[in-house]
Amino acid sequence: MRAPGNVLDMWRLHVAVLVIALIAQLIDVREIPLGPAAILLLPLLYAFLLSVLLNPHVVGAVSKIVRKREVKAASPMIVITIMPFIAKFGTTIGPSFEELIEAGPALLLQEIGNLATVAIAFPLAVWVFKLRRESIGATFSVAREPNLAIIVDRYGLKSPEGTGVMVVYVVGTVFGTLIFSVLASLLASLGFFAPEALAMACGVGSGSMLAACSGALSGTWPGMEDTVVALSGASNLLTYATGLYVSLFVALPLVEWLYKKARPGEASAARKEN
Amino acid sequence: MSAEDTVGGSTRVPRENLAVGPTLRDLAVVSVLGWALQLLATDLSALAALAGLAGLYVICAVGVVLTRFAPFYLPSIAWISLLGIAATLPFTPWGDSVTALVADIDFLALSVPALAYAGLAITQREIDVVKKSGWKLLLIAVFVLASTYLGSAVVADIVLRITG
Repeated sequence: MRAPGNVLDMWRLHVAVLVIALIAQLIDVREIPLGPAAILLLPLLYAFLLSVLLNPHVVGAVSKIVRKREVKAASPMIVITIMPFIAKFGTTIGPSFEELIEAGPALLLQEIGNLATVAIAFPLAVWVFKLRRESIGATFSVAREPNLAIIVDRYGLKSPEGTGVMVVYVVGTVFGTLIFSVLASLLASLGFFAPEALAMACGVGSGSMLAACSGALSGTWPGMEDTVVALSGASNLLTYATGLYVSLFVALPLVEWLYKKARPGEASAARKEN
Repeated sequence: MSAEDTVGGSTRVPRENLAVGPTLRDLAVVSVLGWALQLLATDLSALAALAGLAGLYVICAVGVVLTRFAPFYLPSIAWISLLGIAATLPFTPWGDSVTALVADIDFLALSVPALAYAGLAITQREIDVVKKSGWKLLLIAVFVLASTYLGSAVVADIVLRITG
């Protein structure tokens, strides 16, 4: 984490970010309804798109406003900007600490299910799609903000791992509610899974995924709405509390280890490079 | 976890390179940006939003110092999240007042500047990666989201069947 030069020196960068962020916040959350689900457009997404358009590497003409030295200084700022976000995130877990302790074993153990990304998506990424280190960032977690922060902190966003987690993050943000509600309705209609189990699984992602997923289940089992909402909410809380640590201490080391087994030559080459 | 030892060989940034002073200064800059966004995103008064951001700043600052100087290494975000939890535990003398201070700060608005810096930080290398394997990553993303849901549902279902 190399800090950029003088603050005043980098005023262009911070002012550009302020203007972009204010515009994005003014556009606000937009929802495009799609049956029971929706395509969700969030301010952070507009902020990303606007700043890509102001990036001199993407649009050459803007290099009078934002120069390449600002691009260089922007990178270490990402992890710093995520810090207040993660702090806020922690403060939402603390007050519910006692409820989390009381959560049942099924609720706790289903958190292990998050490792399914490693079991299913990682082999696909490495062997079927022949992706390189992007697979690590893309498949170690469900790529919500805490997971994104882990990758940024460890590899930086401007790394293959960072590109991987970023793509999944954006797809999850935009299409997450759609994917979760379609999948929830589908699994519910199979009749194999207990409604309680499907409700708990709704909590593995973001708040909007939770809402879409539990909404879809309540539609299938109208009488069970209260149970579905309570279980999925508790599961989501638990994911927020434990997800960061599970993906940091279990999933990421596991994926790193698997990647080294899968591509032994490349792993040692990458180490020398750094 | 037997895989734990392989982390040392990864490309992570060594913590000795963490410059505490400049980091705290940049943290102050982003807190000011965050404050301006809170005024748009919430109904908080300027002063209440400032107090909330100041509370988050202190949590982050302590986390940065611990990342650099604690006897063992934890990533800064892990420290900051732990401190955020510890600062708001309801049975502590400080819990309720810290919670009241930061409760109305908008979660999503805090993430907006991070994505703005991220878009500005992109270089030719990342553009090339997305051009080359963007569609593959898009498909993988769908598999990641679907397999998380399916995995959790399967485990929960099995545990529910065992425990009744």
